[in-house]
Amino acid sequence: MISVKNLSHSYNNDGILAINNISFDVAKGETFGFLGPSGSGKSTTQGILTGLLKQQTGKVSVAGYDTMKVQNERFNKIGVSFEQSNVYSKLTARENLKFYAKLFDVPTRDPDELIRLVGLEGKEKVRAGEFSKGMKHRLTFARSMINNPELWFLDEPTTGLDPTIAATIKDIIRERTASGTTCFLTTHNMYIADELCDRVAFIIDGEIVLIDTPKKLKLQYGQKLAEIEYFKDGKLITETLKTIDNADKSRIADIIKNYDVQTMHTKEATLEEIFIQVTGRGLA
Amino acid sequence: MSKVFDIFKRDVLSSTRNTLAIYMIIVPIILAVVIALSAQGLNDTAVKVAMLEDDTPEHIEFMRKYAKVELFNSVNELERRIMKRDEIAGLLPKGDGYEIIVQGNEPEMIEVYTKTLSALYELGVSKEDSRSEIYNFNRHVPPVKKMLVIMLISITIMLAGMLISFGIVEEKTENTINAINVTPVSQNGFIIGKSALGGTAAMASIVISIIITGFYDINWLMIILVGVSSLILSVLIGFLQGLNSKDVMEASTGVKVLLLPIAGSIAGYELLADKWQWTMYWSPFYWAYKANDMILSKTADWPTVLLCTGLVLVISLTAYLVMMPKIRKGLS
Ligand SMILES: Nc1ncnc2c1ncn2[C@@H]1O[C@H](COP(=O)(O)OP(=O)(O)O)[C@@H](O)[C@H]1O
Ligand SMILES: [Mg+2]
Repeated sequence: MISVKNLSHSYNNDGILAINNISFDVAKGETFGFLGPSGSGKSTTQGILTGLLKQQTGKVSVAGYDTMKVQNERFNKIGVSFEQSNVYSKLTARENLKFYAKLFDVPTRDPDELIRLVGLEGKEKVRAGEFSKGMKHRLTFARSMINNPELWFLDEPTTGLDPTIAATIKDIIRERTASGTTCFLTTHNMYIADELCDRVAFIIDGEIVLIDTPKKLKLQYGQKLAEIEYFKDGKLITETLKTIDNADKSRIADIIKNYDVQTMHTKEATLEEIFIQVTGRGLA
Repeated sequence: MSKVFDIFKRDVLSSTRNTLAIYMIIVPIILAVVIALSAQGLNDTAVKVAMLEDDTPEHIEFMRKYAKVELFNSVNELERRIMKRDEIAGLLPKGDGYEIIVQGNEPEMIEVYTKTLSALYELGVSKEDSRSEIYNFNRHVPPVKKMLVIMLISITIMLAGMLISFGIVEEKTENTINAINVTPVSQNGFIIGKSALGGTAAMASIVISIIITGFYDINWLMIILVGVSSLILSVLIGFLQGLNSKDVMEASTGVKVLLLPIAGSIAGYELLADKWQWTMYWSPFYWAYKANDMILSKTADWPTVLLCTGLVLVISLTAYLVMMPKIRKGLS
C-alpha cells in the first residue's frame, strides 16, 4: 500500500534534513506506527506521503500512485487526519462534514453518523468555532473517515484528548483496521503504538532506527530485564536489572543471597523502555 | 464542476456569517441608491435652460442647438420651474443683455455653460465657429452621475477582490486548505470555486447598481464583458493578499492598494488633456473606465469595446503570469 525508498526532506533546502534517507513498506491491511519524539520527522513524512509537502528525493508510492505525479483522484481512496485540527469555524459540525463529503467521487458516510461515532452527538448544529480543541480534533478525525478510505493517515490521533475520549478513538481505529483499512499512524505515545500497530518504526532525528512488531521487540528486549522486590532494613526496595549484564547478574545473585526477596520476575519492557534502550533517548 | 459549485456554496454560507463580508456585498448597492437619490437632476446629460416664450426666435433657436430648452409664458412660471429639484438654469432678458438665474444648488458647470452659450450668442459667433468650440467644451463637462456610477463599478470590482481575499484568509488561518488538498479537488477547481463568490457578487451588484441608477437601456452584454474582464486583476490581487495576510483586516487593507490605480485612472481619463491620455494606457482600470463611459453614454460600438476589453485582458494576463506561480505555491 505504501512503499518508501530513500526519502529525505529539507524544509528550506538548507541541508538541514527533517527526514534523512528513510525507507519502509506498509502492506495492505497493516497498521503501521511511526513512533518518535516530537520533532523527529513524523508529520513531515506524513506530509510527503499525502502530497501536502513536495517530495524532493527518493521514490514513494502510495495506494498505487507515484507521489511525484499529481493525481488527485487518488484521494478517493485516502483519508487524512491532521495533528492540528483544521475545520471551518463558521460552519457547524454537520456543515463541515457535508461540505467535505461532496468533494469526493466515491460514496461517502452520513455526517451525523460520524459525529455520533466520535461522541459529538447533539453538537451537529453547533459551529466548530465554538468547539473546544479536543472537539475540533474529533471532528477532524471524523472527517478523515468520510470517504471510507482504504488507506488512512492519522497524525497523533489521540494527542490532547482526555482518556475516555482517547479510548473511543482507539476503538474506532481498531475496528476500522480490523476490517481491512490500511493505517499509517504517527504518535509519540508508546501505548497507542503498542495497542494499535502491527509494526512500529522508531524514528529519531529524521532517521528510522528500527522497524519491527511490538511483540518481537518486547521478546527481544523485554526478557532481558528482571525486576526484584526485596526487604532491606525493613523497607521494600525494587530494582530492575538486566539479565545479560554481568555486573547486574552478580547483583541479582547478591540480592538473593543477602536479602529477603519478596517477588522476582522477568519484566516485559514497555515500548518506551525499548525506545530508550535502542535510541538512548526518551519519547517525551 | 459540481465541486466548484460546492466550494462556492460553502463560501456563500461562510460569508453570511461574516459581518464584514455582508457589508462588502451590500455597500455598493447602498451607494447606488445614494447616487440615484442625490443625483436625480444629473440624469440628463444635456443642460436644461428655461426661457421665455417671447424671447427672440433666433435666441431660442441658438440655445436649442446646445441645450434642452423649456419655454414659459411668464417670469413667475419660469421661476417656479427653476425652484424644482432638478438642475435647470433660467435665461431672462435684462436691459441690453441677459440674466442667468439658478436655484443655487446646481453644479457650477450648468451656470458656466449657460453663461458661455449666452455670451457666444451675444458675440454673434457663427454656428460654424461655435460648434467645434462648444462641442469641445461639452466633452469636458463630466456628466457627474455617469461618472459616479462608473466609479461605483470600479469600487465594486475591488470589493470582489476583498471578498475573495476573505475566503482565502479563512482557508489559510484555519488551515483547511490542507484538508482540501487531500481530496480529489484539483487546484484549478479550488481556485475557480474560490473566485466564484467575489465574481458573481460583483457582477450582480454592478447590474443592480446600474438598474437602480437608471441606466437600463444600455448594451448589457458590453457591460458584462467589460466587468468580467476587469475582475481578473482584482481576483488575482484578492488571492495574493489573502495568502499573505493574517486576518481579514490585513487582507482588506492589502486589496485597498487597488484604489490608487483605480482613482488615478479615473482622474487621468477625466482630467488629462488628450495629448497626455497615453500616460494612462498601462492601467486596465483606465480601459475599463473608458469602455464603461462609452457604454453608459450609449456611444459605445463593438470594435472600441472589444479593443478596450482586449487591452484589459492583455494587461491582466501579464499580471496573471507574474502572480499565478506565487498563488499556486501559496495554496499548496
Ligand atoms: N514548516 C517547517 N519549516 C521548517 N522546519 C520545519 C517545518 N515543519 C517542521 N519542521 C522541522 O522539521 C523537523 C521535523 O518536524 P515534524 O515532522 O513536525 O516532527 P514530528 O511530527 O515528529 O513532531 C523538526 O525539526 C521541525 O522543527
Ligand atoms: Mg507531528
